[in-house]
Amino acid sequence: MRKALIVGVALVGLTASLSLLAQETGTGQNNTFGVGSGASVADDRFGKLGTEFTPIARPEIAALPTPRLHDGKPDLSGPWVGGGSNNDLEANGGLKPGELPLLPWAKALRDSRKEEDEPYLYCTPMGIPRVNPYPWRFVQSYSAKGNTHIFVLHENGDGGGHRQIFMDGRKHPPDPLPTWWGHSIGRWDGDTLVIDTVGINDKFWMDSRGTPHTEQLHTIERWTRINYGTMTNELTLDDPGVFSRPVNLKFTAKALPPDEDLLEFICVENNQFGIAAGLPNVYKDKGFGLEQAPPK
Amino acid sequence: MNKKLGLLATCFGVLFVVAPVPAHHSFEVEYDPRKPVEGTGIVSKVEWTNPHMRVYVDVTDPQGVVTTWNLELGSPNSVLRRGWTRSDLKAGDKISFKGFGGRVVLTRSVADAITLADGRPFTGASGTPTR
Repeated sequence: MRKALIVGVALVGLTASLSLLAQETGTGQNNTFGVGSGASVADDRFGKLGTEFTPIARPEIAALPTPRLHDGKPDLSGPWVGGGSNNDLEANGGLKPGELPLLPWAKALRDSRKEEDEPYLYCTPMGIPRVNPYPWRFVQSYSAKGNTHIFVLHENGDGGGHRQIFMDGRKHPPDPLPTWWGHSIGRWDGDTLVIDTVGINDKFWMDSRGTPHTEQLHTIERWTRINYGTMTNELTLDDPGVFSRPVNLKFTAKALPPDEDLLEFICVENNQFGIAAGLPNVYKDKGFGLEQAPPK
Repeated sequence: MNKKLGLLATCFGVLFVVAPVPAHHSFEVEYDPRKPVEGTGIVSKVEWTNPHMRVYVDVTDPQGVVTTWNLELGSPNSVLRRGWTRSDLKAGDKISFKGFGGRVVLTRSVADAITLADGRPFTGASGTPTR
C-alpha cells in the first residue's frame, strides 16, 4: 500500500516550474485567473499556498485597446506582472541555451554561483532587468512642466527604493555613482517608451541562475503597450565587461485586472530564508521564527 | 522522535508532484520534494508577514508529544488576493495541512494545502474557491 502510494516524486520540469509566467486558470470566483511562480501541485492538493499568485486580466479584458492619457500618450500604468528576467535571463528573454554571449570569466562565474547565495534572497533590490511574480507599475508623473518623470513602483523587488526615469530631456551625468537602479532617461518613440540607463551597480544578479554584470552595464528598454493586457519590453543589454557583443532580448508583461492595485510588501520584516536548510535564524530576537509564541 | 517525524514524512507519498516554488526563493534550496508531510493540530500563531506568511501549528501525536510546525505560505498579498482575511485563520483554530519538509529542519515546511476546521480549503487559486 505504502509502495503503491509512493509511486514517485517527479522532479521533471523544475526549470519549467520556475518559469514566471506559467498560467494558472481557475473556475468561478474572482482572482482565480492569474500568473504565479509557475508552480503546480498534485491534484490531491487543495491549493498553492506555498507559491505566489498574481491575478491577470481575463482575455476579453486584455484584448481591449490600449488606454490613453489626456495628452494622447499610452497609459502604461498597469499594474503589471512580468516583463523581465527572473530565474534565467537567457531563457526568459527568448534565447536558446548558450546564446547569451557571455565572456568566459562571466560564464564561469555564473556556473559557479549557487541559487541560495543570491543577494535578492536577503531582500535587496532585484535591479534591471529583473522582475518577480509580484505586480509593479509605471507612474507617469506630470507637473506644470509636463511629464517630467516616470517612476517604477514594485510591490516587492525594489527593497524600499524607487526607480525614477527622467523625461525632461536631461542627459546622463558624466560619471554617475553606480546605484541599484542606475540613472535612467526616457523618451517617446511614437507609442514606445524608450528608457536608457547607465550607472548601475554590480551588487545584484540578473537572474537567480547568477548571470553577472559589471558597472559598465548599459540598458535600453523599449516598452510598448500592445493592448489593455499586454506590454512588451524589447531590451538591449550592453556590457563589454561580461558580453562579447550587445544582446537583444524580449519580454512580455501582463496587466492585472482593472480593479487590482499594489499592496504593501516590506520584505525584511520576517525573512526566514535559509533556516529550513539549517542556516541560523537571524530574526530570532524579533520573536519571529520561534517554534513557540514569544512570552507575553 | 526523529524516527516518528521521518515516518510521518514518508508515509504520505504524492503522485507526480512538481515541487512548489515560492517566489521569493527557490523551493529546492530549502525544502525537499521527497519529504511530503501532513498533520492536524492547533494553530498557535499566524504571521501575516513578508516575504512569506507563516502559520505555526501544534500537532500532538498519540503518545502526547507536541511538535510545533512552522508552515511557510506565499506572500500575505498573494493570500489576500485570493480573497482571504485574517479572521479566516487565527490562533486557536484546528487545521490540517499538507506540505513538504525542510531539508535540515523537517518541521519547517512549505504548506501547499491547509484545511480549516469547518472544512474549507484555505486557498482560492485552484479547486473550488469557497469565497
